[in-house]
Amino acid sequence: MKQNLKIGLMATSMMLAPLGAFADTADGDALNAMSWDQVVDLARGGEVNWFLWGGSDNINQYVTDTIGGILKDEYDVTLNRVGLSDTVEAVNIVLGEKESGVLDSGSVDMIWINGENFRTMKQGGLAYCGYTDILPNNALVDWTNPAIANDFGVPVEGCEVPWSKAQFAFAYDTNRTEEPPRTIGELLEWAKANPGKFTYPAPPDFNGSVFVRHVFYHAAGGVDGLLGDFDQAKFDEVSAKTWKILNDLEPFMWREGATYPASISAMEQLYANSEVDLTFNYEPASVGLNIENGIFPPTTQGYGLTDGTIGNTNYTIIPFNSPNKAAALVLQNVLLSGEAQYQKARPDVWGAAPAIVVGRTSAEAQANFATIVSHPNVAPADELAQAALPELQAAWISAIEKGWLENVGQ
Amino acid sequence: MSNKESLGIRSFRALTGAFLITWLILPLIPLAIWSFAKGWFYPDLLPRNWSLRAWEYAMSDTSGVLDSLWLTIWISLAATALSILVGIPAGRALGMYKFKGKEIVELMILAPTIVPGIAVVLGIHSVFISLGLNNTIHGVILVHLIPTLPYMVLVMSGIFSNYDPAFEAQARSLGASPLKTFWYVTLPAIRPGIIVGGLFAFLVSWSQYILTLLIGGGRVETLPLLLFNFATAGRNDITGAIGMIYILPGIIILLLTAKHLSGRSGAVGGFGQI
Amino acid sequence: MSDRTKIFLLLLPAMFIIVVLFFGGLAIGLMRSFNYMPVIGLTDPDFSAYIAVFTDREFYLSFALTFHIAFTSTVISSVLAIGAALLLRRSFIGRGMVNFLFQLNLTVPHLVGAIGMLYLFSQSGSFARLAAEFELIAGPADFPALVFDPFAIGIILQYVWKEIPFIGVIVLANMQSIGEDYESVARSLGASKWQTFRHVLLPLIFPGVLSASVMVFAFTFGAYEIPAILGANFPAALPVLAYRKYTDVDLAARPEAMAMAIVIALLSALMIYFYVRYSRRRIRG
Repeated sequence: MKQNLKIGLMATSMMLAPLGAFADTADGDALNAMSWDQVVDLARGGEVNWFLWGGSDNINQYVTDTIGGILKDEYDVTLNRVGLSDTVEAVNIVLGEKESGVLDSGSVDMIWINGENFRTMKQGGLAYCGYTDILPNNALVDWTNPAIANDFGVPVEGCEVPWSKAQFAFAYDTNRTEEPPRTIGELLEWAKANPGKFTYPAPPDFNGSVFVRHVFYHAAGGVDGLLGDFDQAKFDEVSAKTWKILNDLEPFMWREGATYPASISAMEQLYANSEVDLTFNYEPASVGLNIENGIFPPTTQGYGLTDGTIGNTNYTIIPFNSPNKAAALVLQNVLLSGEAQYQKARPDVWGAAPAIVVGRTSAEAQANFATIVSHPNVAPADELAQAALPELQAAWISAIEKGWLENVGQ
Repeated sequence: MSNKESLGIRSFRALTGAFLITWLILPLIPLAIWSFAKGWFYPDLLPRNWSLRAWEYAMSDTSGVLDSLWLTIWISLAATALSILVGIPAGRALGMYKFKGKEIVELMILAPTIVPGIAVVLGIHSVFISLGLNNTIHGVILVHLIPTLPYMVLVMSGIFSNYDPAFEAQARSLGASPLKTFWYVTLPAIRPGIIVGGLFAFLVSWSQYILTLLIGGGRVETLPLLLFNFATAGRNDITGAIGMIYILPGIIILLLTAKHLSGRSGAVGGFGQI
Repeated sequence: MSDRTKIFLLLLPAMFIIVVLFFGGLAIGLMRSFNYMPVIGLTDPDFSAYIAVFTDREFYLSFALTFHIAFTSTVISSVLAIGAALLLRRSFIGRGMVNFLFQLNLTVPHLVGAIGMLYLFSQSGSFARLAAEFELIAGPADFPALVFDPFAIGIILQYVWKEIPFIGVIVLANMQSIGEDYESVARSLGASKWQTFRHVLLPLIFPGVLSASVMVFAFTFGAYEIPAILGANFPAALPVLAYRKYTDVDLAARPEAMAMAIVIALLSALMIYFYVRYSRRRIRG
């Protein structure tokens, strides 16, 4: 494999071979002033290092094969996918580099990101902003939609570009459970009636955290009073009820709540092996993929809650110190394209809902989208979307996570 | 050696031996089975569906598993080679000479085998960022030297403490150059130590996780990192395949050097002679 | 050239690497734990990280758990390793195989063993399925919790699995180089098997066992990936907690991580100290 040769050469020419052999495009302002064709020219022959959560090899394959293929064939740009177990790792790299004075030769060119991680980067001055207009496919994005223009309540303001949509959904095994609980209230009852058969990953795991937020909404009697800026008084009131609910639930949970699965994958293992009978995920299409990959029993069925589940948009961001900004821009443009979004939506690839307006894409792309049939075991995205709840602002989320660790996790 | 042990004791030995054999192989079995399974759920004792998919994925170009294998081999070989280069002279000094402060030097070289990597690597991490060694293969090789070098020096000092420099003196007196003396006289004598020390150094580097994770920053994806990621992501079939691939080089190297690990070669005994 | 110069030059490369990388890393970690980092402008050392760590209940629970893991694993492994070495001294059916597997085990990284243990001992793992097959349990919840549990049983099992061969190989090599002459003499003078072992063999192999045990204790105390795979998440093992703090987005947690790392280093230094003092005295005495 060419990679071996590359490694060998790198090792023996320690002092030579500068990083990023081609045009170093760290100067974002300069790029912003150029035309798209000029940006593409600068990107040619270069590479882009994209850091993203690597826990799903379907996503890994889509990124490496489909997206990497398009980048190489059409733009002669090499895509280096770097898998993370948690997005915060990439944020920490950029943070560490800024701390150590590495200002224009960072190791990260792009991150798959949203929520608190986005807030950290935007507020810490770690993001490259204000460039999105030069991306031709930016026209496919509906920036008037507040769910896209705001990332967990933080205004995007040109610092990131949407990639995909996700909405929380549950799943159960039709062999083991006759009727699954269809609201949070029913879930709490169900758990008590089926002791030891329910658990959730400990926050700050992404999925565990959003489950706790569902309970938080339930304790508040709905999400309406919680939208908007962080309100300490309101938070104290609702969180007190939430911790009580979750603590009362503990004796009826898996391992009686003495420990929680460390991640969503750990919980999915417990579900697959009958240690617990319910599972959930922010990516409902993962149910279909997991069945195909032999991770879930084939009798698993995904479903949404009747009083709604939380949905979000996720994005890609370019750090301020990326030396390959031109290539990163080309990559973002490809990700937004009708073709890439269609491939991503295919249930055998990823099954993720598009973040662009399908009606604005080419006729060919629209025809492709129309052919998509979701996996039979997956809760259909449009059904879920009818009962979509918004995310809270990032400050609420950190407070909820911290509160869980102090009041329930111990 | 007396063979007058009673039948009872001999059967006890055989039984314990059988138990040990089973016990030593046991954890590897589910990994092997998983690599050929397509879904293996409780309460099935064996998978209902078999498949080669995990192996196909592991051997494919896009998965990066093979690249990771070569990368890990390269890093471990490089760290071992550097340890040998540096460890031979240090082992000679400690094994053949007495000098003031020797105990302190021995302690300093021994310290990394006792102080866990996490205590040290957090501090190194920030320095490596400024030096640009972060996220590089070179940085990872360098940081692997911390746990591998002490083992090498330990083994070499054990070898050198049983070494007679008289042969070197003879060769020199017969007119051999220092290089020739080293190559034809010293090297063959210390070869067992190099092999055992090299084996330990290689294995220590081969199994490193936290050092590679922090200094490599996820960009240097060695096999243990890949394995950990798939294991925590719940892809047990791929985990099984990668696990099998991961233990293979160690086994091969062991088979090539097995005779040096037991017996009176003094090399392993070096561990007990601090 | 003089001997002194020779020794200096021979030791130079190794000492350079150890001093710069190992002691340098420790020193920088120490400085950062005091929030002292002149390079980025922090010139006022303070104890805030240590105060935060030592007033955190989670730290004490974590420390106690990690100590328990290290102590229990080391004791069990050492005792059983001596037994295994005694076993392997004599020939018996399958001895070659056991020898080979012992050495093979040395090459299997901890991570692989830990994953294997997970598959074997989780409540829905291979042993649980066997138990269900023989109708000893009704469901996964009836199987004892050996992984993700507060007593870290799975973790200890994994360490024991790997460290018995490690200590065993060292002890066996020691036994073989010591030879059996001393024991033959003792037996011929009328000592029982146990007395021979306790008063002749054990003192002779003790230094080797001790040095191996110290290494095992330090390793099992400071390892990250095994408790990350097999451990409960509260309290987590100390290295896991330190890593968590280091990678927390809240940068104020980083000096706390360094402080924990220094605590780990101090404990290891203590181990070295006791080992040096105790073993030298024993050998001389």
